Amino acid sequence: MLDAEERVTGRINYTLNVELPAMLVGKILRSPFPHARIVRVDAGRAERLSGVGAVLTRDDFGARTGCSGRYGRVFRDQTVVAFDKVRFVGDPVAAVAALDEDTAAEALSLIEVDYDELPAVFDEAEALKPGASLVHDPRPEQQPMFSKIIEDLPGGSNLCSHFKLRRGDVEEGFRTSDFVFEDVFRSPAAQHVPLEPHVTAAHYAREKLTVWTSTQMPHAIRAQMAELFNLPLARVRVIVETLGGGFGSKGSLRLEPITAFLAMKARQPVKIVLSREEEFVTVCKHPATVRIKTGVMKDGALVARQVSADFNTGAYSDIGPVVARNGGSAMSGPYRIPHVRIDSRAVWTNVVPAGALRGFGVPQAVWAYESQMDMIAERLGLDPLEFRRKNLLREHDVFATGEELADIHFKELLDQAASSINWSSSDACWLNSERANQKRSALRRGKGLAMVIKATITPSTSAAALKLNEDGSLNVLISSVECGQGAKTVLAQIASHEMQIPLNHIAVSDPDTDLTPYDQQTSSSRTTYSMGSAITRAAGDLKRQLLDNAAEILEASPNDLVIENARVAVRGSAQRSLGYGEIARLSNQGNLIGRGAFSTRGGLDLQTGQGIGSVHWHQGAIGCEVEVDTETGKIKVLRLSPSVFAGHVVNRRLCELQLEGCAIFGLGQALFEEMIYGDHGQLLNVNLSDYNIPSFDDIPAEICAAALENASSEDLHGIGETLLPPVMAAIGNAVYNAVGVRLRDLPFTAEKVLRELGARAA
Amino acid sequence: MKQIIRLKVNGSDEEIAVHTHHTLLEVLRTEYKFFGAREGCGIGMCGACTVLLDDKPTSSCILLAALAEGKQITTIEGLSEPGKLHPIQQAFIDHNAFQCSYCTPGFILSTKSLLAENPTPTVEEIRSYLAGNLCRCGSYYKIQAAVLDAAARMRGKTA
Repeated sequence: MLDAEERVTGRINYTLNVELPAMLVGKILRSPFPHARIVRVDAGRAERLSGVGAVLTRDDFGARTGCSGRYGRVFRDQTVVAFDKVRFVGDPVAAVAALDEDTAAEALSLIEVDYDELPAVFDEAEALKPGASLVHDPRPEQQPMFSKIIEDLPGGSNLCSHFKLRRGDVEEGFRTSDFVFEDVFRSPAAQHVPLEPHVTAAHYAREKLTVWTSTQMPHAIRAQMAELFNLPLARVRVIVETLGGGFGSKGSLRLEPITAFLAMKARQPVKIVLSREEEFVTVCKHPATVRIKTGVMKDGALVARQVSADFNTGAYSDIGPVVARNGGSAMSGPYRIPHVRIDSRAVWTNVVPAGALRGFGVPQAVWAYESQMDMIAERLGLDPLEFRRKNLLREHDVFATGEELADIHFKELLDQAASSINWSSSDACWLNSERANQKRSALRRGKGLAMVIKATITPSTSAAALKLNEDGSLNVLISSVECGQGAKTVLAQIASHEMQIPLNHIAVSDPDTDLTPYDQQTSSSRTTYSMGSAITRAAGDLKRQLLDNAAEILEASPNDLVIENARVAVRGSAQRSLGYGEIARLSNQGNLIGRGAFSTRGGLDLQTGQGIGSVHWHQGAIGCEVEVDTETGKIKVLRLSPSVFAGHVVNRRLCELQLEGCAIFGLGQALFEEMIYGDHGQLLNVNLSDYNIPSFDDIPAEICAAALENASSEDLHGIGETLLPPVMAAIGNAVYNAVGVRLRDLPFTAEKVLRELGARAA
Repeated sequence: MKQIIRLKVNGSDEEIAVHTHHTLLEVLRTEYKFFGAREGCGIGMCGACTVLLDDKPTSSCILLAALAEGKQITTIEGLSEPGKLHPIQQAFIDHNAFQCSYCTPGFILSTKSLLAENPTPTVEEIRSYLAGNLCRCGSYYKIQAAVLDAAARMRGKTA
């Protein structure tokens, strides 16, 4: 990576390090109840405490102050601090800014809040029952920009959104199927755990708001903050340093509103850093229940699939409706299924709000459909590899969304994953006739496979500016966020390749919305593809300008000029040439600025889910081998082999890191990651002692990451998320082949495995 | 309440007034501006705040600053001269043994201690020694390769 030296010397700057003159420390008071009416908030004593710069409560919002304080990505269901109700344990109720941490903590303790408890709903099924306590009433207003993506619904229910996909006639499909299988799979809430927590610093002066924040979406943050503060976009500046990890958690508004309102009120800069405990109540992966019904012929041909999925989006919807839609639209998997009917809902409840997490709804989907694929293979007595092969989507097939697919490589990916674990049909425990006679030790091994198809956000837009300086060096001005994925390195490589300028003459900006052009977001594995394409176009614009200016200076026709080795020369006359720097100087423009934008088109019909779901589809397969200790129930993953279609790899090592990172992230969700709630909606494991993430102790001895390319194409495919979603099902399938235990609820804790082994024995 | 203590950080040796309830991590970040040590979990589980205390890896987020008095404290900033890299740092660069790098100073300092104790670690020994440092981005395989490489380089240097 380009900034490697700063990274290994500890000198790279995170938002965590931001310090401003006279900066105050902000802290948040949070609800102890999952659902309660706020009767009284009295911050008088806190305000009078020496060293307190500002206290923020619901009294700072509403008609009296001209500030609604309402926001939300899809629905305006969130407020800067709680107004009338709190909706989950951890919901921000008030905030203070003070000279130091201790004073801020003391001030929080002086804020008096009286609550009137209300009945709460925690589970997505319970929340949808008639008469269930309503989390939001009346139904919050939808953001206009989402009206074509998410259907608005009538109020009076906790049903937040309902994505529908209708293809063929699923009832007819089930009628003609030889067998119909129905299974239910559940995923729990899980944490992102970026090691750098959410951090925001803000300063408000002379009707301009400046926000330093650890976010993946600088421009979206700017737009939402401008709306909250009634400011033009130009008067909100969002600056983003490198992130200490994001994984989707740092997208929507988080600390920005509270920090900025505190700063405005205190007339001093304020910074808030979340503790790990607060991270746990800020955002998480959607718990989801996926009911999947699949019709199949005796020979293994898939005929029909019906899915009913409920994504628990918690107290505030954030981007949850789009997560439910994204998971829903991919639930037919990488398979040809003529009849598909999908209903995928987001549901409000009184638990921690769920948002985007690496995979964006697809992990919950793949966990269900790839587990069921193995279960069906067993019921039909088929090799799960052959069963998948038989049904794989191929070039020019039509996907469940009705779009024709191109550049499809599922067969090679599956073959790669299978061969890397030496899969043979006897690895399916039901096809291994000698298994029963084998002398068995307490440690049993098994192999498993799983596949994934995943969209990238479509439509989407990225813009880039390339500033060619007087010495021929290049500033790449972009708003892509460096989260550790290596975005700046890969994008510098693309600029270097396009302009023939060496990497040590290129600098890539960090996002600063005052200076860097628009980018929709750093998410959805889109940066290399989308921003890379914008840079390529900007380079085209810059090269045209170089040719035009050189033609004038050299008194030649632009058509007679060629670009070679970072110089513009008259064809066939090498001595008549100019370096980029000379052209910039002699152009009398100070410097040359190339501009480029890249946007994709698409969208799905609200009633049928038909249309363009993705500009191209991300494709992957994974193989794994596990060892299960039948005496303890503990699962050890021995091998993982993630394979992705990358189109064209820009940086092989960074690509490997993404694949390995996905596999390890998925391993955590498969084996132990789960947010556990008590009976009253309070989270019980809010620290990294009680909530474990994978360490060196957990990872397999071997990992074999493979990125397939298409030599005939320069198309770039994002690879940042694709191989997370199939990990859980691959491990689940391997555990089944090892010990015959089929789990339907993640994660596969040793206790669950042991209980199932005991039940089977009994 | 503040207390004056004598801290030896990265070669300096000075008296400093610290709050008795403040951790070494807070003092390193707020008084010394050594930002290479970072809080990840606040309870000594993740290793992002690792510093060397008399050459032993220590979680600075759960150690009161006053208890570090008299001990040699090394942060990532003290590992090498500005402009020069320690062989472990160079190996981490050469293997791209990080993504977001929030955890990297902790891994490098733990590696320094590992290689001082055991110049020829096996993969299993590396994994066991570094199991207290967490990398959420999952760069473990590259870290493992970097540590093996650093060990070889450091042996070559001292041989």
